[in-house]
Amino acid sequence: MLRDIFKSIGGTENFGMVSMIIFVLFFVVLVLHTLLMRKKDVDDFSRMPLDDFSKESDDIQDV
Amino acid sequence: MENQTFYYDNKIVKNFAYATLIWGVVGMVVGLLLALQFIWPALSFGIPYTTFGRIRPIHTNAVIFAFVGNGMFTGIYYSLQRLCKARMFSDLLSKINFWGWQLIIVLAAVTFAFGMTTGKEYAELEWPIDILVAVIWIVFGWNMIGTIIRRRVSHIYVAIWFYIATFVTIAVLHVTNSLAIPVGLFKSYPIYAGVQDALVQWWYGHNAVAFFLTTPFLGLMYYFLPKAANRPVYSYRLSIVHFWALIFLYIWAGPHHLLYSALPNWAQSLGVVFSVMLIAPSWGGMVNGLLTLRGAWDRVREDPVLKFMVVAVTAYGMSTFEGPMMSTKSVNAISHFTDWTIGHAHIGALGWNGFLTFAVLYYLIPRIFQTQLFSRKMANLHFWIGTLGIIFYAVPLYWGAITQASMWKEFTEAGFLKYPNFLETVTQLRPMYAARAIGGGLYIVGIVLGIYNLILTVKKGKFLPEEAAAAPALENTGNSRGSGEGIHRWLERRPVQFTIFALVAILIGGLIEIVPLYLVKTNIPTIASVKPYTPLELQGRDIYVREGCYTCHSQQVRPFRSETERYGEYAKAGEYVYDHPFQWGSKRNGPDLSREGVVNGRQYKPNSWHYNHMLNPKLLNEQTIMPSYKWLIADDLDLTTTARKIRVMQTLGVPYPQGYDKIANDELLIQATGIANDLKSQGIQVEPTKEIIAMIAYLQRLGKDVHAAGSPTASISGK
Repeated sequence: MLRDIFKSIGGTENFGMVSMIIFVLFFVVLVLHTLLMRKKDVDDFSRMPLDDFSKESDDIQDV
Repeated sequence: MENQTFYYDNKIVKNFAYATLIWGVVGMVVGLLLALQFIWPALSFGIPYTTFGRIRPIHTNAVIFAFVGNGMFTGIYYSLQRLCKARMFSDLLSKINFWGWQLIIVLAAVTFAFGMTTGKEYAELEWPIDILVAVIWIVFGWNMIGTIIRRRVSHIYVAIWFYIATFVTIAVLHVTNSLAIPVGLFKSYPIYAGVQDALVQWWYGHNAVAFFLTTPFLGLMYYFLPKAANRPVYSYRLSIVHFWALIFLYIWAGPHHLLYSALPNWAQSLGVVFSVMLIAPSWGGMVNGLLTLRGAWDRVREDPVLKFMVVAVTAYGMSTFEGPMMSTKSVNAISHFTDWTIGHAHIGALGWNGFLTFAVLYYLIPRIFQTQLFSRKMANLHFWIGTLGIIFYAVPLYWGAITQASMWKEFTEAGFLKYPNFLETVTQLRPMYAARAIGGGLYIVGIVLGIYNLILTVKKGKFLPEEAAAAPALENTGNSRGSGEGIHRWLERRPVQFTIFALVAILIGGLIEIVPLYLVKTNIPTIASVKPYTPLELQGRDIYVREGCYTCHSQQVRPFRSETERYGEYAKAGEYVYDHPFQWGSKRNGPDLSREGVVNGRQYKPNSWHYNHMLNPKLLNEQTIMPSYKWLIADDLDLTTTARKIRVMQTLGVPYPQGYDKIANDELLIQATGIANDLKSQGIQVEPTKEIIAMIAYLQRLGKDVHAAGSPTASISGK
């Protein structure tokens, strides 16, 4: 039954537009979220790769 | 909270690093052999195992899944442990991941050389190996998610988001595109046919680029670039937007590989629009990478790791501008089927993936061997030779592509094609092909230097298999959101939920494009005169797939006057409904073959021509670059598979009559005897049971059904 419904579905041309609207809304919310993040958190996160000190290998510098 | 001491597993990192180097050389040497075959076709050596059609998948799979794949695992296994402040979840799963992946690569190389292929680009592996790939991939994901769950850091860093997206998306793509019904141990037919198969395949193909060659390397960029530059990421906010926008948009872009094809226009338009939009997140990532070097640009002059990274990120930026540009219809009309695509792909593979892989290796190998790089000068030399190699590789191909596309499209004043002989447009490119081979050769010389440098580094150092580290245990903050904690902040510490969100983001595009095409009947108008292949033609088609003919010949006439004049009627969706798999191809080193069988058509040749052409193409044209397929004349057709193939096709919905499998071989022999008798009348003695007869039967069928429909648009039915 579900397959029959899908087979006769119409207006597939509009799917892209609907998806773009979904994406734009999602994108706007995402940008707002990032803008509202606390600066201290953002600074801490951006430094994460630099905070993984282990004992042996981190002192090695290229010549 | 009290510090816990734990140990990073460097052994698995070392194993993957070594595999990266070995497979890198193998994959690229095979690529060089392919490049040289364009100049000296005799380098096929007259045997099946080294012909272009069989070794091209070995090259592409070795570079993508063996070199880049192992490089990706090297970087992920190194960075994930350190970003999570935890050892990998399971050493056993790490080992299974490593050895399983190497087994897959060996099996791929062997099966491709023997012609065991699905005939779908970058997804050529047959079903048993596909299952093995799925199992090993799940092992990788299990190990990764397990490590993230056991981490000692609350926030999941953005690099890990890219790793998660890589895992879930590749799993979805691989399983969906590989669905097939086996005919035997190493032969299957995909469940999709024609246009649907093309869309699923390029949805997979494009997103294999996106989620195997791009997202994991963006993750590596977000970890190793700040480490090498000793600078925090330029903008963490931008990285969040970059991640979600990229994974949401990328998944839609596959149809740009099928512009001007028989794919419905709405799907083509979606592909174009989302491809152009992709510039924004892609360049956001590139800018974020390059600006991370702010204040450290003076070090780029001296440090080979940073040099490799800068060119890698720049190549990413170039590729991700060029890709959307090639996705617009006006540019695609020129670039598609030419070497432009090959040049574009290699800017990404050699520049972005290759250089970032070497940056990672130059960074981490000295560290896990507790020493310094043996020679910075040698690494710098590698960098410059490699960079020159990329330029020498790509520029001649761009030049050649514009030249060839112009020759394809040029008309005389009287309105005839100026270059009606396709071969003229190939021989014109020989100098460009020679320059491309020099570029590829230079790149390999650079890699050999790099490997030598790393071997000396390894010899100089002392391997540290268990690297001690310390961090406090992760505080249990509960499953629910804390006060003032936004949804995304909550997601950033919940790996399973994050994985589900990423899965939803990538599924939206895939489902909206593929489900309507698969289920809505009006998308594929049927053509009454299009009938299933006869048993002999079906066998011939399988030989066509086995020999990888699609790597040089398309079966897709675009609706341009220059193409309909050269080949005949343009392609329609309804003519491919029994094609499991589709064989449209993506590159024309030889002419399109989809109208080859139309008697009195522009491309038609008699049976004897095909026989002689397969026996020795140079007998018919001294300039041709097509290799000989003389074994088709010597080898017997495997008649034991015919009935099984018919039954599988029936299962897939191909309307052979009930019980047809039992009489299929009888019909096959009748048709084969007819072709053999025709050849005999031309002075060629060949038994009807030889493979060449089936191949000729298939080639002579191409385009006949559409031609029989007369005015094709009049006989197309959408209901």
